[in-house]
Order: sequence, then structure tokens, then C-alpha cells
Amino acid sequence: MSESRPETAEQGREWEALARGAAKDLLGGSREPIEMQRELLVFGLDRAAYAVSVEHVREIVRMRELTPIPRAPAWLLGVVSLRGEIVEVLDLRRRLGLGASTPDRSNRIVVLHGDVDRVAGLLVDSVSEVHRVPEEAILPAQGLDLASVGEICTRGDEFVSILDLDRVLGVVEVDLADRSSGETGDADG
Amino acid sequence: MADRRTDRHGAGSPVASSHERTGGQDTREFVSEAEDTLEQMRESLSRLHDQRAEAGEVDPDLVNRLFRAAHSLKGLAGMFEFDAVGALAHRLEDILDGLRLGRIAIDSPVVPLLDEGVALFAAALSRIEQSGSGTTDLETSVREIVARLERGLAASPVASGEGLDGLGLADSELRALTEYEEHRLRENLRQGRHLSRVETTFEISAFEDGLAEISAAIREVGEVVSTLPSPGPAPESQICFALLVGTDVSAEHLAERLDFPDTRVVSIQEGRPPAAPAPKSAAGGHEPAGEVETRFGDRSAEHESAGPVPEIESLRSISETVRVDIRKLDELMNLVGELVIQRNAIEDVALRLNQNPGTARIGAELGKVHKAIDRKLKSLQSGVLDVRMVPMRQVFEKLSRVARRLHRDLGKDPEVNFKGADTELDKLIVEQLVDPLVHVVRNAFDHALEPSEERVAAGKSPRGTIGVSAFQRGNHVVIEVEDDGRGMDVESIRAEAVSSGLIGEQEQLTKKEILNLVFQAGFSTAREVSSTSGRGVGMDVVRNNLAEMGGMVEVTSEAGSGTTVTITLPITLAIIQALIVGVGDERFAIPLNAVLETLAVEPSQILHSEGREILNLRGEPLLLRRLGEEFEIPCGGPEARQFAVVLGLGDQRLGLLVDRLQGQQDTVIKPIKGPVQQIRGIAGATQLGDRGAILVIDVSSVVTDATRRREAA
Repeated sequence: MSESRPETAEQGREWEALARGAAKDLLGGSREPIEMQRELLVFGLDRAAYAVSVEHVREIVRMRELTPIPRAPAWLLGVVSLRGEIVEVLDLRRRLGLGASTPDRSNRIVVLHGDVDRVAGLLVDSVSEVHRVPEEAILPAQGLDLASVGEICTRGDEFVSILDLDRVLGVVEVDLADRSSGETGDADG
Repeated sequence: MADRRTDRHGAGSPVASSHERTGGQDTREFVSEAEDTLEQMRESLSRLHDQRAEAGEVDPDLVNRLFRAAHSLKGLAGMFEFDAVGALAHRLEDILDGLRLGRIAIDSPVVPLLDEGVALFAAALSRIEQSGSGTTDLETSVREIVARLERGLAASPVASGEGLDGLGLADSELRALTEYEEHRLRENLRQGRHLSRVETTFEISAFEDGLAEISAAIREVGEVVSTLPSPGPAPESQICFALLVGTDVSAEHLAERLDFPDTRVVSIQEGRPPAAPAPKSAAGGHEPAGEVETRFGDRSAEHESAGPVPEIESLRSISETVRVDIRKLDELMNLVGELVIQRNAIEDVALRLNQNPGTARIGAELGKVHKAIDRKLKSLQSGVLDVRMVPMRQVFEKLSRVARRLHRDLGKDPEVNFKGADTELDKLIVEQLVDPLVHVVRNAFDHALEPSEERVAAGKSPRGTIGVSAFQRGNHVVIEVEDDGRGMDVESIRAEAVSSGLIGEQEQLTKKEILNLVFQAGFSTAREVSSTSGRGVGMDVVRNNLAEMGGMVEVTSEAGSGTTVTITLPITLAIIQALIVGVGDERFAIPLNAVLETLAVEPSQILHSEGREILNLRGEPLLLRRLGEEFEIPCGGPEARQFAVVLGLGDQRLGLLVDRLQGQQDTVIKPIKGPVQQIRGIAGATQLGDRGAILVIDVSSVVTDATRRREAA
């Protein structure tokens, strides 16, 4: 089957490496190794800059009608309908411990996709641009007590915090199902 | 002479070829085709064992079918280069070949190896499916069983045959027989049938049809051993045939039945009654009058006539069906769902046009178009839904095999009856239904049924009965598993629930509530398998599996008499009619198939009892639950007038209180994608018109939660 888009993030990286290799050959094979670069989508939240790898971004949409989910954790704003597909939207502010969002029309939703059909939306204030950074300029965010930020890099004179997607959305399989005894089941705040 | 194929692949080669596999697509194709064939083999093997047990002999068509299936598997494995399973299929084919040619007797010890071989093949298949390539951990097992099969083949006694000389058959006739035909001839003689030759003539242009007709007529009373063109006195435009047949009726009788032109029947040997009467076990248990039952393993239910089913028939039925990837059906279903949503949007637009006098006429026209689309869409909808429906028969056949295996493993031999094999369910539901059902049946075998001595002492029939029946009730399918075993002891269940901390010592519960405690998670894990209770471990898993499909399960029982497990499932998950309701600022959709009625409720009508709210509905108490409270949504206070949506699921009733009723819609329930799964009380979401998403309520969990919830007194 001929798909023109990578099915997983990993496959995307593979293809990219292949393409770069091929390009190198076409350009007459320069002796220098081409630097690995990463492409990041940079967006703003509370006047700070955050980013995710471009390969995880499926689309960016304007703010739209949000349907709240009953008994959900506070960082789960609700669901939106994307051309018929129902996708959960997370409050990135809350997720990062920066307080609560009051979504309005200026917000944007960054729709992310991971592997195995995982989709989720992140509510952000604004979206800036795609920023290309050489791998070596990306530093691990150790020493910074940030639960969801894995790495950091610079862009001009500001820092950009690169989100660790697994921590932000992937592994959070919160189960709201256990309400059997009624009293003890507890949704995480 | 069977040609011992010399291209032995050898059991030493790795299960998967070392060639690059062209990818998942190929493997999927192989697995899917192989699974189908394997399924047929399992069914046929099961029938083979039954026939062997009941009659001591086996329908030759059955063996042929098994042989062809094994041959298919071998070819398939070879084509996709799965060498070791190919070798396995090859040995199975050899055994079946020996069986059908009479070289291996039906009671040879090699025959049970067939079951093992098939089971191992199935295991290898699922490994292949998961990993996409090798199944190295099964290599040893495969090698071992291939070796055993080969040893068995070598050691097999050749069934002795009666001499065919002195029969009055011409040498040329005898020589023309294939080994298989020779074997069939001997078999017919051994069974003491009448042997005759049917000589007939046809026009060359029409002989195929004629031959088929006369063969069918013969098959009604016997078997066609061989069909040969014969050099007879016939003009150029015609052709003569001689059919060797073995029949249960005499040659004269046969001649009378074969009312075809240019036909005569010559008797070769008179039949005689068989030496020992074939042992036919009496059909145990009672034959209930009236209901049409299908008993699997009962050969007479399959064949109306005395002879084997003509092969021509079975080929035709295969070509009438098409195998479709279930994902394509899902896509179709989605498309139809999208069309439904757009159709609703058209209706919206038409209404708005109608409201404005300037555009009212156009609005009316659009309204007509909408109605026409609506009609066609409904047909399309039911057509696509229909394609996904499969009969319960498939599930029953699997259960039948499970029962057989349990019989072998546990030594208990209850009569297992099935009713309603034609009841249809969505294919996806059926696939997920098998495991829970097997679990329930297994429990019945294991725990509910007492050993025969105990049964006889209690005045019951020694064998015991398990009845599985499926029927449609409104928009649901109900499946009941009923046994006449020892029943469930309410007291000991209560005691165990108390000791595992599920309920308090002092709590008062009805018998029904106590019985349904067995579905609670804490209950099953705390108990050990006990001989005093009716049901064993794992019922909470069963309930969860069913709840995921929007179904539910209940149990009723009488100590000493038996237990019934009732499973209720929606017929399909796809497009449903929904009632839109409003609570506070939110809207929700409730599947209409669970809604019995809706009523307006004044606050003064609400009664309170034991901390719950109740409504007096035509003399019966109806438990109420405020949706706003359930979902923690701020809504109109207790002084406001509300509406009760009366939900019914199985026997349970709940009145869900909402602020507003906002009409009905066709909707498609879609899954909610995102990191938070398992949202209690929500079955999915749908889109209404061009507005946002609306959450669809999971009726079964809401009803179950409400009826189980106990407020502190």
C-alpha cells in the first residue's frame, strides 16, 4: 500500500534519515557529515515558549466548541470534533502546573499524534513557527524540576522548553472506571 | 498407489523461511485463509469423533473434506513459505489420505493425533500473526508431532479388504477403479449393501446435466462408487455411462426410482444385513416437543437423506459467499454514519429556510429532497448493517467443541443443547462474545454440574443438561445458559462476600442482589474454587468484557435445581437512534433502544426511601437518579420540574432525571480518542449537525451503578 505519510513518529524519523542520505548522494557527496537537525513547532503559553517535534504534530486548529467530560481530571478540558473525529483536549497550562486556562477564540489547539492511533489536542495560547535546531544545540532539561519538559534549546534570546510527550499525554491512561463502590473511586485532580 | 512425495521439507527447517517477507499484508492473507480452513477442519474433526463414537464408522465425505482441507493448508503454507507448518499439514494430509483410502482404520491410534496436529497448527498460526515471521518456540513441538505422525503412519495396520474377485465385475472394470474407488467398493460390500451397475445413455451435448441428475437420484438411496464412460452401442451423438453403485435398496427398487430414459440397472451382488449392528447411542435426554433444535454432533440433523451430501452442492455454497475484511465493513459503516450526520444538517438548514418567509418555498423544496435522501439512507444503513450480521451458529459450533473438550478433560458428559442458532448479531460483537460465553459454559461444567452419583441420589437424570439459547428481544439479543446442576447457595455466597469485605455483616440484601455479587471483582479473587457454590472464578471478567460491548449479565438460581446466566447485548453498536437530553448547560445523547418511556416529574411526586429517590410509576416503584448528580454537573435545583427518562436493561429499571428533553436523532457513536480512556458512564460521542460533540451515555453502566449504589443509612 502506498502511503505518503509516515505511520508512526519513528517511521517519520527513518524516512527523514533516508531522505537526507539520498539528498547527500545527489549533491555529490560532500565529505562533511550533514548535521542532524530537529524541526520543532514552537508555541506560546503564558509568554513562555514551548515546543514539540514537528513529526508529532498532525494539525493546528482554531479554538472551537469544547464539550466537557463529566468527572474528568481538571487538566482534561473536554473533547472537540475534528471533521467527525472526537478528540480529547488537554489544558497544557494545568498539565505544566501553571494554573488554569480560560479558553477563548484566540487560543489554538495543537493536535498531536503518537504511535498506535494515539491522538490528543493541546490547548495553547498561540503558535509561532517551525524552528530548525541542530541536534547538538538541544540540551537535556536536568536540574529543572519540570515534570513534562524533557529538553531545552534556545531560539534567539529566549529558551524553548521541548515537551516530553510521553509524560504529557501518552502514558496517562487514567481510568475513570473504578466507581464501583461509589465513594472510593477518585478522579485525579 | 499413493505417490510418497519425495520433496520432504523435513521438520528441521526453521518455521519461517529465511527469505524477506514482503510484509504484514502477506502474512495476514495467509493467516486469514489458513484460519478459515483450520476452522472447517476443527468442525469436521469434531463430527468425525461423534460419528466414530456413535456408529463406529465415518461418513466418507467427511474424511474427504478433511483430506482436502489438509491439502489446502499444505499448499497455502508452501506458497507463503512457512515450511515447518507446511510439513505438519503434509503429514496430516497423509494420515487423512490413508484414512479415506481405507489404509488406516478409523480406530487406529494415529487418528487422535489429528486433533493435536490441528491444535498445534492453530497455535503456530497465532504466533505467526503476532510476530509476522518465525515461530521458533514452537519449532520443537512441531518437529515432535511430525515425527510422531510419521511413526504412526509407518506402523498403521492396513485395514483388510474383502476380495473383489468373484463379484462378476469385468477385469477391465476393476482395473479402471482408482484406489479410492476400490476402497469405497470394499466398504460398500463390507456394509452389506446391494451392488449394482447402472447403465445409461445421454446426448453428448447434455451428458453433464444428465449425469448430475442421475447421480443425485442414486445418492438418495446409496452411493456412487464410480462413474465410467462405457463402450456401448450408441449412435455418434450419444455417450454411454456405467455407474457402479452401492445402495440400501435392491436393484429392482433402484430401477423403479431411476425413472430416466435409456437406463437399466443390473444387479452385481445382492446385499446382506451387516454382520454386527452399528451401535447407535440412544439420543440421551428428552426431545422437547415443538421447538426446533439444532444439536451439533448429531449427524442426522445435517443429512436428511441416507446418503452423503453431494459434493456439487457444497462447492456452490462456497462460491455464493464472499469473505470480506471486517475493516472494510467498518469503513463502510463510518461512511454511512457521516452521511447520517450530513442528512441531519440538511434538515436543519431546511428548517431555518422555512422560518424565513422569503426563503420558505426553497425551504419546502429542500425539505422534500431531505425526505427522499432520508428514505434511501435508511435502506443503505440497514443494508450495511445487515452485511455485518452473522448468525450465532458460529459461536454455538465453538461452544460445542469446547463442550467436547471439557468432556474429555473433566469426564463429565452433560447433554448440551443449542437453540436459536439463526439469531444474528454484529460480527464484532460475536467475536468478542465467544470468550465470555466459553467461560460461562466452562463454569457450568466445572462447578454447577454434580457428578452422576450425586445427581442420581438427588433424583435427577445422571447426565445433566446445559442449554444455550439465543433470541432477539427488541433491540437486544439475549443469550441464556441454563443448567440443571446444583444451583447456587445464597447463604454461602453471602458468607463469602462478608468475609471478603464486599458487604457488611448486617446488610440486608435480596436474593437477587446476593446472587449477583458473584460478578464483583473482590468476590472472585477472594474465593477458591468451592464445591458448595454454583459458580467459580472469573465472573467479574465476564461482566467487564460484556460491559465493554454495552451488554450486561445476570444470574438466577434455585439451590438444588439449577442456574441460569442471562446475557443481554445490543444487536449492533453502529448507528443508533438517540434521545437528546439537557442537564444544566450540557447536552447528552441516550441510545433510544434502552429507553422505555419519558415522563414529566414534579418535585412533589418524588418519594424518598432509604436514602434514595423513588417515583410511583403506575403502582410500581421506579428508582430515580439525577443525571446532574451522577455527572457532577450543576443543574436545576430540587424545586425545578424535571423529566424522567425510564431506562430498561434486562430486568432492571432506572428513571434518569434530566432538565430538558430535546428531541431524537440518528447518530453514530464514535470512540473518544485521547489519553483518558474508560470514562465511566460514557459510551462514546457523536456530532450533532454542525455544532460540537455530544457525549453518549453508557446505559448499562449507569443503570448498574445506580442500582448497586447504597447510600449510608
